[in-house]
Amino acid sequence: MIRVKNVRKVYPNGFVALDGVDLHISRNEFVYLVGQSGAGKSTLLNMLYKAETPTSGDIYIDNISLSGLAPKQVPYLRRSIGVIFQDYKLLPRRTVYENVAFALRVMHFSRSRIRRQVTQVLELVGLQQKMHNYPSELSGGEQQRICIARAIVNNPPVLLADEPTGSLDPDTSWEIMQLLSKINARQTTVIVATHNKAIVDDIRKRVVAVENGRIIRDEQLGLYNP
Amino acid sequence: MIRDFLFFTSEALISIRRSGIMMIISIATITVSLIVFGIFLLISANISNLTNYFSSKLEIRVYLKDSTKQDEIDALKLRFEAMPAVRKVEFIEKAAAWAEFKKNYPKIELNTLVSDNPLPNAFRIVLSDSAKITSIATHLKGFEAVEDVGDMGAIADRITAFSRYTRIAGIILVSLLTFATLLIIVNTIRLTVIARQDEITIMQLVGATISFIRWPFIIEGLLIGILGGVFAIIFLVFGYSFFVMRFQENIPFFPLVYDHLTLNLIYLGILLVGTSLGVFGAYLSVSRTVKNNY
Repeated sequence: MIRVKNVRKVYPNGFVALDGVDLHISRNEFVYLVGQSGAGKSTLLNMLYKAETPTSGDIYIDNISLSGLAPKQVPYLRRSIGVIFQDYKLLPRRTVYENVAFALRVMHFSRSRIRRQVTQVLELVGLQQKMHNYPSELSGGEQQRICIARAIVNNPPVLLADEPTGSLDPDTSWEIMQLLSKINARQTTVIVATHNKAIVDDIRKRVVAVENGRIIRDEQLGLYNP
Repeated sequence: MIRDFLFFTSEALISIRRSGIMMIISIATITVSLIVFGIFLLISANISNLTNYFSSKLEIRVYLKDSTKQDEIDALKLRFEAMPAVRKVEFIEKAAAWAEFKKNYPKIELNTLVSDNPLPNAFRIVLSDSAKITSIATHLKGFEAVEDVGDMGAIADRITAFSRYTRIAGIILVSLLTFATLLIIVNTIRLTVIARQDEITIMQLVGATISFIRWPFIIEGLLIGILGGVFAIIFLVFGYSFFVMRFQENIPFFPLVYDHLTLNLIYLGILLVGTSLGVFGAYLSVSRTVKNNY
């Protein structure tokens, strides 16, 4: 479903973030991208929803080349990929409900359908009691859940998570990962970039290790360290 | 479609309410630039009104030889009337002219100076196009029965030149002012766009199309433009009628523009310029911000 072909990314300042990356991810897989900060995990994730573009090489999603995608088509690509951001990227002056509903508004859903789906997804992430609160009134873990709810509210076939447990305590991290496993079980391809060793070793999935912009290891049910 | 429109409008209203002071500043800025624009339009309308007024006062006097007979006079009148750019031909009989002259200058003891009526028969010719006055006067001099032609050609040429230059200067100034107003509006709306940069980025990341992001801003620009235009018009309506009142107290009968049609056209123009610049400004400033993220 996702094919990364010989991707290289050089930033304007000359830093090589990715170099010769090849990766194939099948439908409904759960993949950890592991590695140090600055290894290239985020760059790779960003490229999957075209927030960044490769300097050379190409990425295919369902056999559609991202480099050949016109700017006009990018929004439609993004609607099929849910993204959980490291910094949540919530709208501070909108309530929990509005933040999630926003993603569906963008897709021109009807009001009643928005209400139904948002309520459902807030139940799934356990925030139905707080839907009228503002993000600043919630804890980090709860804000992360809003972000997850927004990413999955329209049931996208792919879910990307960039350090979803980066700023959370171990218990909350574990809950968030359980949630992602649950979403994966609902026929969603999940790719998680993380450097949380405990989680990767605990919930065993396919592990792709990135170092200095290259994939150095790719194993099913792997551990954080070989 | 309607659902989207309502959503965009409510988004625009929310944004206007949230960025209160900035909105007031934007509307004030646009109001001031539209007032300057409107004052200029009123000035140029008055200048063109003034030149038209003076042009309409221009006329040619054609003095006839005393030997000209009545049937010749009638024939000449018809020929003059048929000429292009001639609006009115009036025959002034010498006796009538003499009586008029004596009435205008009763102090002069004319009877002691001249025994007989010294004035010739004449035609007063009013033109519809003052620019043609010199060429028509020259043409009239060529008639057999014509003794002399009195025209105001020199003045007419000056007025024509003046009105041409003011028109050119007007077009240049209006374009410059429109451009300046556009720049102000673009930058003002750009500030509100920058203030919501994060929101726009998030919208783009969750799959909003450019037009979806753009519409609320365009409606916002439209509202800012309309409000700025309305305030400018209110100011100009009161300001101008006050000005006309004071001016005419001091210089009565001066040909100022105060017919409703012309003034309403100017005010409508200001409203149209305000709203279209608001919309266009919003379009430009959002497009510049949004392009980077796709």
